[in-house]
Amino acid sequence: MNNINTLEIKDLTKAFGGRNVVDNVSFNVPEHCVFGFIGANGAGKTTTMKMILGLLKPENGEITVCGERVRFGATKTNRLIGYLSDVPEFYSYMRPKEYLNLCGEIVGLSNAVIKRRTSELLSLVGLANANKKIGGFSRGMKQRLGVAQALLGEPKLLICDEPTSALDPIGRREVLDILQAIKGKTTVIFSTHILSDVERICDRVAVINNGKITMEKAMSELKVPHRAKAMTVEFAGEVDSDEVMRVLAENNFAPSHYEIPATSIEELFLEVAK
Amino acid sequence: MKQFIALTKKEFFESHATYRVYILLAVFAIFGLMGPMMALLMPVIFEMMAADMAAMGMTLEIPEPTAQDAWTQFFSTFAQMGTLALGIIFSGVMANDLNRGTLVNLLTMGLKRHTVILAKFFTATVLWTAAFLLAVGTAYMYTAFYFEMDTIAHVLLVFGAPWLFGVFMLALLIFGGTLFGNFYGALAVCFGVFFALIAVNILPAANRFNPASLAGGTLSIIMGAGEAADFIPAMFVCAGVIVLLIIVSILAFNHKKL
Repeated sequence: MNNINTLEIKDLTKAFGGRNVVDNVSFNVPEHCVFGFIGANGAGKTTTMKMILGLLKPENGEITVCGERVRFGATKTNRLIGYLSDVPEFYSYMRPKEYLNLCGEIVGLSNAVIKRRTSELLSLVGLANANKKIGGFSRGMKQRLGVAQALLGEPKLLICDEPTSALDPIGRREVLDILQAIKGKTTVIFSTHILSDVERICDRVAVINNGKITMEKAMSELKVPHRAKAMTVEFAGEVDSDEVMRVLAENNFAPSHYEIPATSIEELFLEVAK
Repeated sequence: MKQFIALTKKEFFESHATYRVYILLAVFAIFGLMGPMMALLMPVIFEMMAADMAAMGMTLEIPEPTAQDAWTQFFSTFAQMGTLALGIIFSGVMANDLNRGTLVNLLTMGLKRHTVILAKFFTATVLWTAAFLLAVGTAYMYTAFYFEMDTIAHVLLVFGAPWLFGVFMLALLIFGGTLFGNFYGALAVCFGVFFALIAVNILPAANRFNPASLAGGTLSIIMGAGEAADFIPAMFVCAGVIVLLIIVSILAFNHKKL
């Protein structure tokens, strides 16, 4: 048997106003893979994802999710999919449990399952104690609730459209940690323009530029080989740089250049915002 | 069916949480009260005017108000302010959910698109029916208390007609909201059609079939001038157009890019 593909996209094309926003795109996402979909703003990431969800009608091409063909306007394949948008919108007058209850009823889960899944997911996303109305949520909290909502129906495929772009570094880290935690249970397609996020959690990446896929590779193929001219080394604690240079020299390594990086602003922020 | 029930529950909860149901009931209770109150107050207003006019050497005959005056006030308030209030209160039913992007989440969870239209139309109709019954009940109670009231002939038709016209307005709001995805569009479609129908109503030939004649027209039956049969064709046209609007809304929504 071949590798099972959760998502298959073939020759997908979508035009807005005569311009091909998505141009003959084809790629497959194997089961249990975290697939990074990288591109600049306007490259065609969201359009592609909306076509997978049946929200937009492609001019041409075919999309199958778990072997089932996606049809525009119909929501049949969406029972297999969980979707998290960049800025998910919720009914501001509801509380998280009420909202997940509504979603569970729409998915068609029994009351007992809804109750169990709701409390599981709310603790997974760190909202177990957030019982206020969603209207008072921060963006990060909404994003985390969005993850819970997307996972409620135990989807085979989780589509995340720039889930970290609108978040501060702490919120970003939290959402990435959650995605890391569900890796292995669900296939994830994750669009972003933040490359460090891709590096952290993706197994496979595709780069889209001007509506065309310009590269698609497994993450392992992208990794730097063992022999290299330059490398960055990080230590768990503070070290004496002179000491390090001495050890290198003793072992016949002669660096032509070295530098001590300043603490990155992101690290600094995470440190002081703890 | 499960999705329909879930979404209907959400719609009712939303009406409660956003105070829509309370505003609706309060407004229509006031409309119900206004008919008989205006009839009662008219002679007082006329009397004040009569004093001025007497100074100018004119005399004004002030008739005793009757139940018919109360119903006249009620139906005219209803045809104008009632329609306006209904349009404004329900303008966001379809439009806001689309505009704010809150529906996208639910649709991507497998919610069927036609269920959205049907559940929203159903909820709005139930709320409207409750508000309408409250208005008519209030008007009826006060009129019976303050005036001599005869039994009203064809009571179902007399009150069923403006109710059906309200349902027609709701269908228009859902259609406009679906088409344009914002409440300006919903209101424009609703009031645009309303004023167009009023304009058409000038033609006596069109009158019998015009849903706009249902808004306050059945008053003529209470006054003893109109026949029930005069309104039957318009009732059928109105009901037919409502069904058509809902079907077209579903088709439009199925093809809508989100």
